[in-house]
Amino acid sequence: MKRKFRLLAIPARLFSLSVILLLFVFSATAQTQVSGTVKENNNPVVGATVEVKGTNVATITGPQGTFTITLPSGRTQLVISYVGLETQTVNVGDKTSVDVVMVPLNTTLNEVVVTGYTSQAKKDITGSVSVVKVSDLKSIPSANATGQLQGRVAGVTVTQDNRPGAESSVKIRGFSSFGDNAPLYIVDGIPVGGIGGLNPNDIESMQVLKDAAAASIYGARASNGVIIVTTKKGRTGGAKVSYNMYYGKADPGEGWDLLNSQEMADLTWLAYRNSGQAVPTAQYGTGTTPRLPDYILPSGKMEGDPAVNPSLYNLNLSDVNGSYLIMPSNKAGTNWYDEITHNAPIMNHNISLSGSADRSRYFMSFDYFDQEAIIINSFYRRYSLRVNTEFNVKKNIRIGENMQVRITEDNTVGNNGNNGEGTELGMAYRNQPIIPVYDIMGNFAGSRAPGLGNANNPVATRMRDKDDRNQSLNVFGNIYAEVDFLKHFTVRTSFGGQINYNNNFFFSHQTYENSENNTGNSYTENFSRFREWTWTNQLTYKNTFGQNHDVNILVGTEAVEGWGRNLGSSRANYFVESLDFWAINAGASNQQNNGSPFTPASLNSYFGKVDYAFKNKFLLSATVRRDGSSRFGPENRWGTFPAFSAGWRVTEGFLDGLNWLNDLKLRGSYGRMGNQRINPANAFDVFIGGLGSANYDINGTSNSTAQGFQQSFVGNPGGKWETNITQNYGFDAVMFGGKTEISFDYYRKKTEDLLFRLPALAAAGAGPATNPAFFNVASMTNKGIDFSVIQKLNLGGSNGIKLDAQLTFTTYNNEITELAEGIEYYDTRGSRIGNWIRNQAGHEMSSFFGYKVLGIFRDAAEVAAAPVQDEKAPGRFRYQDTNGDGTITPADRIFLGSPNPDFTYGLNLNAAYRNFDVSMFFYGSQGNEIMNYVKWWIDFFPSFQGAKSRDLLYNSWTTSKTDAKVPIAENSSNFSNNNAVNSYYLEDGSYFRMKNLTIGYTLPASVLSKARIDKFRIYVQGTNLFTATSYTGLDPETFGADDSFGIDEGLLRSTRQFLIGINVNF
Amino acid sequence: MKKITFKFVALLVAGTVIALSCGKGFLEKTPKGTLDVNALANKKGVESLLIGSYAVLDGFINGGGIFLGGWESSGTNWVYGSINGGDAHKGSDAGDQPDINPIEAFTPTATNNYFNLKWRIVYEGISRANNTLKVMAQATDISAADVTRITAEARFLRGHYHFEAKKMWNKVPYYDETFLKADDYNIPNDADIWPKIEGDLKFAYDNLPVTMNAKGRANKYAAGALYAKALMFQAKYAAAKTVLDDLYTNGKNAQGVKYQLLARFSDNFNADTKNSTESVFAVQYSVNDGSAADNGGWGEVLNFPYTGGPGTCCGFFQPSQDLVNSFQVDAVTGLPDPDTYNANEFKNDAGIPSDDNNPATVNDIFVPSTAAVDARLDWTVGRRGIPYLDWGKHPGNNWVRDQAYGGPYAAIKNTYYKSQERIKTDVSFWTSGITANNYTLIRFADVILWLAECEVEVGSLDKARQLVNEVRARAANPAGMVKDGAVNAANYIVGLYPVAAPQFANQAAARKAVRFERKLEMGMEGHRFFDLVRWGIAATELNRVLDYHGGVSHPTIKNKRTYLTAANFTANKNEYFPIPQSQIDLSASGGVPTLKQNPGY
Repeated sequence: MKRKFRLLAIPARLFSLSVILLLFVFSATAQTQVSGTVKENNNPVVGATVEVKGTNVATITGPQGTFTITLPSGRTQLVISYVGLETQTVNVGDKTSVDVVMVPLNTTLNEVVVTGYTSQAKKDITGSVSVVKVSDLKSIPSANATGQLQGRVAGVTVTQDNRPGAESSVKIRGFSSFGDNAPLYIVDGIPVGGIGGLNPNDIESMQVLKDAAAASIYGARASNGVIIVTTKKGRTGGAKVSYNMYYGKADPGEGWDLLNSQEMADLTWLAYRNSGQAVPTAQYGTGTTPRLPDYILPSGKMEGDPAVNPSLYNLNLSDVNGSYLIMPSNKAGTNWYDEITHNAPIMNHNISLSGSADRSRYFMSFDYFDQEAIIINSFYRRYSLRVNTEFNVKKNIRIGENMQVRITEDNTVGNNGNNGEGTELGMAYRNQPIIPVYDIMGNFAGSRAPGLGNANNPVATRMRDKDDRNQSLNVFGNIYAEVDFLKHFTVRTSFGGQINYNNNFFFSHQTYENSENNTGNSYTENFSRFREWTWTNQLTYKNTFGQNHDVNILVGTEAVEGWGRNLGSSRANYFVESLDFWAINAGASNQQNNGSPFTPASLNSYFGKVDYAFKNKFLLSATVRRDGSSRFGPENRWGTFPAFSAGWRVTEGFLDGLNWLNDLKLRGSYGRMGNQRINPANAFDVFIGGLGSANYDINGTSNSTAQGFQQSFVGNPGGKWETNITQNYGFDAVMFGGKTEISFDYYRKKTEDLLFRLPALAAAGAGPATNPAFFNVASMTNKGIDFSVIQKLNLGGSNGIKLDAQLTFTTYNNEITELAEGIEYYDTRGSRIGNWIRNQAGHEMSSFFGYKVLGIFRDAAEVAAAPVQDEKAPGRFRYQDTNGDGTITPADRIFLGSPNPDFTYGLNLNAAYRNFDVSMFFYGSQGNEIMNYVKWWIDFFPSFQGAKSRDLLYNSWTTSKTDAKVPIAENSSNFSNNNAVNSYYLEDGSYFRMKNLTIGYTLPASVLSKARIDKFRIYVQGTNLFTATSYTGLDPETFGADDSFGIDEGLLRSTRQFLIGINVNF
Repeated sequence: MKKITFKFVALLVAGTVIALSCGKGFLEKTPKGTLDVNALANKKGVESLLIGSYAVLDGFINGGGIFLGGWESSGTNWVYGSINGGDAHKGSDAGDQPDINPIEAFTPTATNNYFNLKWRIVYEGISRANNTLKVMAQATDISAADVTRITAEARFLRGHYHFEAKKMWNKVPYYDETFLKADDYNIPNDADIWPKIEGDLKFAYDNLPVTMNAKGRANKYAAGALYAKALMFQAKYAAAKTVLDDLYTNGKNAQGVKYQLLARFSDNFNADTKNSTESVFAVQYSVNDGSAADNGGWGEVLNFPYTGGPGTCCGFFQPSQDLVNSFQVDAVTGLPDPDTYNANEFKNDAGIPSDDNNPATVNDIFVPSTAAVDARLDWTVGRRGIPYLDWGKHPGNNWVRDQAYGGPYAAIKNTYYKSQERIKTDVSFWTSGITANNYTLIRFADVILWLAECEVEVGSLDKARQLVNEVRARAANPAGMVKDGAVNAANYIVGLYPVAAPQFANQAAARKAVRFERKLEMGMEGHRFFDLVRWGIAATELNRVLDYHGGVSHPTIKNKRTYLTAANFTANKNEYFPIPQSQIDLSASGGVPTLKQNPGY
């Protein structure tokens, strides 16, 4: 009675909900106390969970594996679980004492995994959920768990960004959007933008929610799939310390196959002569054949020339043009790739403390990660501290927190990113070999020497940029409380979020050695901060009716809000460039000041989930979430995302006779997920001022402007939720006594009302034409299969070799089905020769689009017979006249290929024999194509006067080599040679790579026990030991934005790396 | 225990209720750092929108997440007006800015991004002018006089931007402030928009005051000049003459000072003497103004000598041999010969290495020509052995990126003086080639020469001769010639056409003389191609020039462009550029593009 009264006091909204829940509540009349022990292999199991089935009444076994628990009336079953052991269900009957014998987990079926807001035994899951084997993940040394995911999870496609600390591209089941296809990451219940900052050593478990049934509980943010990460909790028992470290080095490998200095001279003369032009006079003499000079500045000089007398040398930074520099030639040739790379060290130290004390559990960890890029003077460092604690305030009340504080530091600011002509790698394939690194006085040498192109000395860039820094401080975590009440209910509240501070500063130095010098110096410093909080409240109800009906119900609310600011400033004309003077105040002239708050974004949500199981055999699940987002105008602000799934465990009472088939579950699901990743101000028309875009010097002062305004955005107040409708069919099978596990899924995803930046005619203004508002106009489909197979083998008895293998297989088949009325396509990845990529209805995302090269014109007769084509000539490309109109025009361009793989796969092999363990991991991608844009730079003479490929000199068209691989070397640039996107650059990027080989040795317990050490393992590891591919660039893995990837313009590659590591527990 | 439980549950329930009642306010987030139209619908706001409409004149904007245009869309039209007009070559090296290569060779395609950026910039200018008028219609605090003035300035700019589109593409859509929604903008390009352009410019001419409160504003006579230019483009010489006569007699700049040619030709191309009495309307460039170089001469930042000289980047926009030859004059009369100027290749250093610049062994192996030339040559073309402003003598090959490809010359009108470095150039950029050296869209010399054209067409040949002589007399000012020390750097002679000169004996001859004078006076200023087209002689003239540069008609010239050997101007096609394919594609409605491509593309 009393309880009922209390419930009445609860506000009406929850009350009505509670009444519904109460319908399930059985009245309690009597209670029984049961005690017992839990053992495995005759050893007590300490810390096992003993739970009364269908309730939240639970306890934990004590030091001797003993427990005592009170059975509510009508309850006779106990469920005993412990990590790594098979969960046991025990019928108590009317006994008061039970002894439970646990057995090691044979399959992952009974593994309890955290899904959206709840946890579930894997065998009961009817949605598509992949459980990541976290220990395997860590076998790839990386600061960032996203890269480690590659090949580990069926249905997840990962493309690595190989810059230290960088976040890789992670896509779950293809694309759902033209922009951001990154999954929603939830760490300890809190959404985060990515898991790049999370210390991989702190990860306890990771689940990938792939279909709507699994993910739609995250409603508006679930469209790209969800990755749920749980960090480590304190282990029951005394304090345990664990220390893990590794140290290794990465080998940058060989660069591109480029010409040496003499060959460059030969090529230069060949190209000018092929073009009917006088050979250039600056460097290679005036004879009939080119000769290498002893000095390239003053140009073309030989030893003994008075012009190269060192006493003339004069470098004056305040008058760079008036300086007299002397640069020797490097006749052997500078290998710029070798000059800017080095054997890059990687190091990680991680120490953690885990344990429990009276009614509390704690986990603490400190991690130091330090990796240098293979590019010199470029690094990423991270310090992270985690403290996770939980307190049992009362038997039924738990309060806890998870928190990480992280500091990172890197010096990649001021660099020109990855994959571009302006990067140091770009300069490595562009800078000419005859240029030495240093001049005669030890100052930098470069393309200032005439006739040697316009690349910069990349070594100089890295030396000058070594003190640039990007620093961040991030605090991330949550505090939560859980209360069990009325036997079947648990209420939980969690408040958490993150605070991010970022500061970067870089000095832009004056240069003197290049042809296109930086004429002044400047210094820039930026600050930004971002905060976001999430508050989640949820109520779960768990009951078993009779012995056959298991019901779990979850209802909850959530609110999220984020906002931030940034500020940046730069000044120029620094008196000196030394580090101590790097302060905004010290600059002599102001350059610019920038800063603006971000438009805040908020989300308010209600969600619920019901799981029902009949006799463990028929499983049903339904979820619904209703989200309101500030990103949409009031009329379409709220969206509802339901999902349903069902499972049938065929083996329960149906296929009992098949003793090789231990478990088979058929699954199917259908549901909707949403996406709201649009500009928070999408609904508004806005005007801005802009120093460089709207201000104007109307007064003719030469150095000041009057304020102007411009319309920068035309909003779409009618924007609404994008909906992703997913069907999933699959099965999970366990065979041969748990030795084989197969999980298979087939899915179809249809994204409707896809938010697309609707491009406008230029006449509508630069705002809507450059940054169009999002409209719900497009649609897209993805379908595919993903499956994984786990196979365990035990050779030669209990002391023999234990083997386990896991294969994952992933496909996605993407098709853009519509962009918008009247909009057939949009082009991306602009370059010096146009856009490489066209995203068009009826085609895959990021498809390559251009002219099809049929061959190279052999001779004048072939040219004459060919269709009309601008600048066609022998030795140049012969394009396909696709529409057959007799003239090559842009209408003849076709879709040439795409970087989307046909399938990707990962194969992991673990073997253990006595104290040795070996693991191997292979990853492959099949059918992904690449546009090798580096070829534009090195296979064509007129693509800037840079370094060139051996192919261009030795395999290009000449009158005596008409069956050539490469067009004629000539000093002319036009549509028929290097000035069009065409299939010449297209290559197959399929590859198969051994990503990891680890050999470990664990010291025998007999040795360790004297030192009171629980475990001591030492290992050596090689990563990326081999890659089988026909791709001619440095790395067939091409990282890039989702609607514009597959272009190789000099990507930082995956490198071979060797390291040694230690794991110690005590 | 139950009590604690209750407290927790109550707390959580309360929390849930708070979360639920966050309600509307919680999800109402307004944009930060921006303004809505209501904040701008007043005098200050509208004046600022008008300033924003001027800000696109330079052809480049960077801000608010929009980076649009640059050298492709420069207000100077150095590619379309000068390179296509035969004044200059792309220059630099073969592979840099490859989109210009087919433009220079008259084989451009509609997918060339240069056209799309030019198109987008001019239509952004139109959009801003129209936004000014749209927002002004909602304001209530602007006086009638100001409404008229702002309307006239906005319509002047709208007329100018449409004019740019018209001369580039001929068939283009016209937009005024009645276009409101994005969907409205999809209109066909089937009408001739000259009447609309004339309407805007005439309104501005009729309604703008003479004296403005800022040097950079269009005033009555700037509008008149552009109006007259629009009439010239339609060959409406009589109508143009009326306006030009008014300008010639009464014209004053926005500061209220009477138009007058500057004493020195070169002061038109100097940031220190900009907004002069000769500046009818100029694109204002400013530097070191807190914008990180976005308001200076962005569109011409590539057009500096290569390595070692001013700007350091990137050796584009190299004057052509045809242009240089044009400056050759009769050693006695100091007059050019439009018919035979290419008979003799003016001496150049093609194929000759630079001197090594060693102070110990100065021994220049190239001596510049001593033949008679018009003094404007060395303010228009940087060439070896002649002082390049105050940068010392142009050293030849060392300042050229690839001489065999682009020729031996350098642009100069857009450049800055060494003494101005970091004062009139921006320190924020990777080069120092962002300058405050205005691009003067219309000079008083333009007005005089247009008037001379009109006089020729109406038959007043001697008036035309006098007008041409006015321009030549200024060029002949010895104080305005390039000096090497105290003496002229070359053999400069600028003669005047005498009374009864054969060049003005008949209309055809006079027409040729006036047009050739325009070539010399306005060389490298972005006008030549459009002049040739409006005169109807583009095909003959340009094919003649292409033949010359490609070495077809003059195989022995040293300064040859082999990539132009096969180039050809196609009459009735190449007079206009292709309408950008992406705009045509965006105009599709029901699968059919609303915008139609120009003939021949």
